[in-house]
Formats: sequence, C-alpha cells, structure tokens
Amino acid sequence: MDAEVKGKITGVAASEGVAVGPVFVHAPGELEPERENISEDAVEDELARFQGAVEAVVKKLSETAEGLRESGSEKEAGIFDAQIEMAEDPEVQEGVEERVKNLESPEVAVISVGEEYATLFAEMEDEYMAARADDVRDVASQIAAELMGHEATGLSALETPSVILARSLAPSDTARIPKGIALAFVTAEGSRTSHVSIMARSMGIPAVVGVGPDLEEAFEAETVAVDGGEGYAAVDPDPDTVAEFERKQERIEEEKAALEEYKHVEAHTGDGQRIEVSANLGSAEGAEDALGWGAEGVGLFRTEFLFMERPKLPSEEEQYEAYREMAQAFGEKPVIIRTLDVGGDKDLPGVDQPEEENPFLGWRGIRMCLDVPELFKPQLRAILRAASHGNLKMMFPMIVDAREVRRAKEIFEECRRELEEEGAETGSVEVGIMVETPAAVLCASEIASEISFFSIGTNDLVQYTLAADRGNERLRHLQGADHPAVLKLIEETCRAAREAGIWVGMCGEAAADPELIPKLVEMGVTELSMSAPSIPRAKKVVSEI
Amino acid sequence: MVEKETTVGPEAGLHARPAARFVKTAKEFSAEITVIKGDKEANAKSPLKVMTLAAKKGDGITIRAEGDDAQEAVDALVELISQDEH
Repeated sequence: MDAEVKGKITGVAASEGVAVGPVFVHAPGELEPERENISEDAVEDELARFQGAVEAVVKKLSETAEGLRESGSEKEAGIFDAQIEMAEDPEVQEGVEERVKNLESPEVAVISVGEEYATLFAEMEDEYMAARADDVRDVASQIAAELMGHEATGLSALETPSVILARSLAPSDTARIPKGIALAFVTAEGSRTSHVSIMARSMGIPAVVGVGPDLEEAFEAETVAVDGGEGYAAVDPDPDTVAEFERKQERIEEEKAALEEYKHVEAHTGDGQRIEVSANLGSAEGAEDALGWGAEGVGLFRTEFLFMERPKLPSEEEQYEAYREMAQAFGEKPVIIRTLDVGGDKDLPGVDQPEEENPFLGWRGIRMCLDVPELFKPQLRAILRAASHGNLKMMFPMIVDAREVRRAKEIFEECRRELEEEGAETGSVEVGIMVETPAAVLCASEIASEISFFSIGTNDLVQYTLAADRGNERLRHLQGADHPAVLKLIEETCRAAREAGIWVGMCGEAAADPELIPKLVEMGVTELSMSAPSIPRAKKVVSEI
Repeated sequence: MVEKETTVGPEAGLHARPAARFVKTAKEFSAEITVIKGDKEANAKSPLKVMTLAAKKGDGITIRAEGDDAQEAVDALVELISQDEH
C-alpha cells in the first residue's frame, strides 16, 4: 500500500509515530534585524539589554542541557554546554560592546561578531572546527532573537501546529519550538543518530531524516503526512492517504490506551513472580512524571548532575536536601542512589583529575571515590541522613571485586559512626553494587556475601564485555545486551545472587526491551528500571509472561 | 610580564576538549593571559579565540601573562598544554 502513496519522499525512520499537518519550512539565516543603528544616548541601555539577552540565552541553554541530561542524552547536553561557553565568551562580549559604542544596534553587532568567528571556523580544514561555525552562528542568532523579541524568529514564533521541514535542524532550533507545535520533523540531512533524531525521540514526535534533495518537492506543499516509524512522508496527500494515516494514528492511540491500563498495576508473571518496574532519574524534578507513568520506585538515581557544571563540589547539606526530596517524593517506594560515577571525561570542580587517554578505563566511579574521601564521605553522610525520610538504598558503580566493596562499606560505616556521635538522625540503607564489569560477575559470589542486591548496568556491561565503545557507530552490532556473552554474564550474576539469597535488578536500556524482558525474568531479575515512559510497556510485557 | 614557549601536546591539538580545559584553567587566574601562535594572538580566557588559533599537536606556542598571578598562570598552562594525554 505504501508504494501507492502519491508524492512520497523516503528517508531514515528516525523517530516513531505518524502525523499529518500544514508545512512549515525552516530556512535559517532569516533573522533580519530591523534596526541597523542606535542613538548615542542609548548606548548604555543597549549594552545592558545585550547583557540581559546573553543571560536569558544562557539560562535557556542550561535548562535544555539539564533536560537532556535528565533523559540520559549526555552527548546532546554537551552541545549546549559548549554553546553556553560561546555565549559567555569574553571576546564576543568585547566585540559587541565595541560595535555598540560605534552606534551599531546590539542585534546587528552580535550577528556580525558571530559571523566573524563562523567564517574563520568554516575556513579551517578540520571537519570538527567547520561544525563549530554552525554552533557560533546558532548562538549569535539566539542572542539576536532574544534582543529582537521572540516574534522575530520563525520557529519560536510558530503558532500553528505544523510539520517542520528543513535542510537540517540545530539542537537549539528544536529546543526553541514552542511545546506542542512541532507535529513532526522532516529533514534533508541527518541520520538516526543526528541531533535532530535524538531530540525528536526525546520529544516524542515523529521524524524522517536524510531524505536528500527530494525534500524540496515538499517546500511548496500545503500539507505533509509523516510516518516516522516507516521513514517516509507523503507530500500533499490525497484523501485516501490522509484516511490511511488517520487509521495508523488510531492504532497507535489504541496501543497507547492499552498500555494506559498497565500504568498503575503491579506486574506479575503468569506463575506469580512479582517484578518491580522502576524509573531511572537524575533529580527529584522528574519524580511526579515518573510516578504518573507508574514507577514503583527509582532503580537508578544518578547523582552526577549535582556535581557538574559548578564552581565547587556540592556540600553535604545540599546533597542531603536533594536526596531527601527524592526520598520524600517516593515515600515507601524504594529509591536506589548510585554514588558518584564520574571519570576523566567530565570535569569535577576541586578534584585534580589527570587527563586520561581512556576515561572509560580510567580513574572513575568507585575508584575515584575510594581515593578521595572528601568527595565520597559527604555523599555517604548525606544519604544516611536523608534515609530517615524515606526508603533509600545505595549502590556503588564500577565495582570489580569484593575488596572495593569492603572498603566502600568501611567508609560508609565510619560515616554512620560519626553521624551517631554527632547525634544526627540517620536511617537504614541497603547497600548494593552496579554490575557493569565482567570482573564483578567473575567475583559475584564473593561480592554477594557483602551486599543486599545487584543492579546490572547493561550499557557499560556490554561495552566492557564486548570491548566495543558504545558511541562508535560502526560497532552497532556489538552494542546490544542480547549478545550471548552478555546474557551469560547476566545469568551468572543471577545464579550467584540466588545462592547468596540476594535480589537482582537491571537499570540499563536492556531493562526496557520487550524482547529481552522475558529472558531476564526467567534468569531471575526481579526489578527493572528504565526511563519512565517505557514503564507501562514493560509492565505489560511482564504480565504476559 | 611572564612569557614561556612550549609545544602543543594533545593529539587533537588545541580544540574541542583540550581547549575547553585550557580556557577553564586560564579563568582560574586573575592575570591577563595571551596565547600566541606565529603572528596570531588569542585571549586565553576566550574559547572561541583559542580555537581560531587552530593549534595542532607539535605546534610551538607562547603563553604570556600579565598580573599578580602571572607566573603561576603561565606555569599551570604550559604544563597543561605540553602534556600529550588530553
């Protein structure tokens, strides 16, 4: 049937879902300041406005970066971090200041200064630097748009829900579209792993990318129908095609509704095994949303967020507040805090991190924490104190043997004694480890005797077992937890846990994989933790076992 | 004024992560710091300027600083930029 669709343009299926709607063509470079010049007595005010605009843009960029970190898109968040640095660059500020003093309007000034750098970068032979040209232009136009008021730019001014067509979409383009306005993305460039695809998936809207020059056919169209699951769009669809898309939409809605009833059930398998389905979270902000999806707790509370992008390490008090907030949001439901898991790929304020060639095989996670008590102890103390407000558990990342577990526990007990001596209120905290190295599995029996639970982090376990960098596109076939070697390690972990009488959870992407869940449950995994929107489907899969 | 010559160590030259780290370190000092490569100069506290130098592994660069902590700044930055593992 698809072959008969008229005006069909095909590309990469980048984000699932279907949509039919009016076309909006995003053509960058459309930002045209109305004022070229300002008057002499306005200079001070205009400079202040410029500062205000920079601050506003930095704030927006930080919020976007935070949101992406929350949903686990660390790499995408990094793009926005780099843009923040550009927005705050002292030379850009100076350049704009000089131009404004020469009576140029700040919006014209910032675009010109941005263009100066963009031209320099674009001329470099290096692909990486050439790409930075787009970033600088992007930042400069965001500041200019802020100065001109939002109505000045196409995407952020869009009011009618539309299908967005563009040669390419920068992360900040997608981030500034008002909520609910983008029905779908269709782009000429891009792959499944481009920024636009990742953003579309995190926004939950359909996207077809990499359609090539064919996209131009659609520029003059009134409406476009997009099927992001199949990877095509129909230009000015006839009524039959529209009807077909409506049917598809209905089917998707029905599936969603079918999942709806699983949101708030407890998942049991056919033979009565109870499986807890929890959410992975980075801060208490996501708690309400996660509970809405039916989270029965937090299987992975990433604490890195508290430590990043700041001048100083967070105090015990600040961490206590963050953990308490999360504990209280979930009440009786368990919240598993993963102690700090940072390595040489991210800067920690106040910690002397040597540059490393292989940060993922380097001084990270528990290795760093055991070496730097002033980093580790405030976190452990904060967890102990927050535990009196809810059901907190804790796990150590990157463990390779029982010796590390024992050392971490010693420090933990030391913290407890100190707090008791100080008369502080503490709660009980179950201790577990992340199973993410093959070494931890090989030592699982000995480790199991020290702890209350294992939580298998499949993303790293896969990468370390198959010696395949998880960011390397060419190694996609070596990035799945369904590899027999990885499955054997999971099985062995469950066996050791059963022998020791402790439970096993999983908090990697694999925990949400409908194909894998039955296997995991059969092996003995009793807790699955994932990004919140995946929870209803996982509960449904468990209930059908 | 303190000035010292060195050679760029990191494989990726002075862009991407090494540049970010370099700028971050420079910002820890109050001195005015300039990176010089050939006839080009850049404010060491500006990531964009530093990237425009397009300094590659093995390129000779000079770090110049003026201010109270100029010596410390030059020492720290020279040490940072001459290491080859970034």
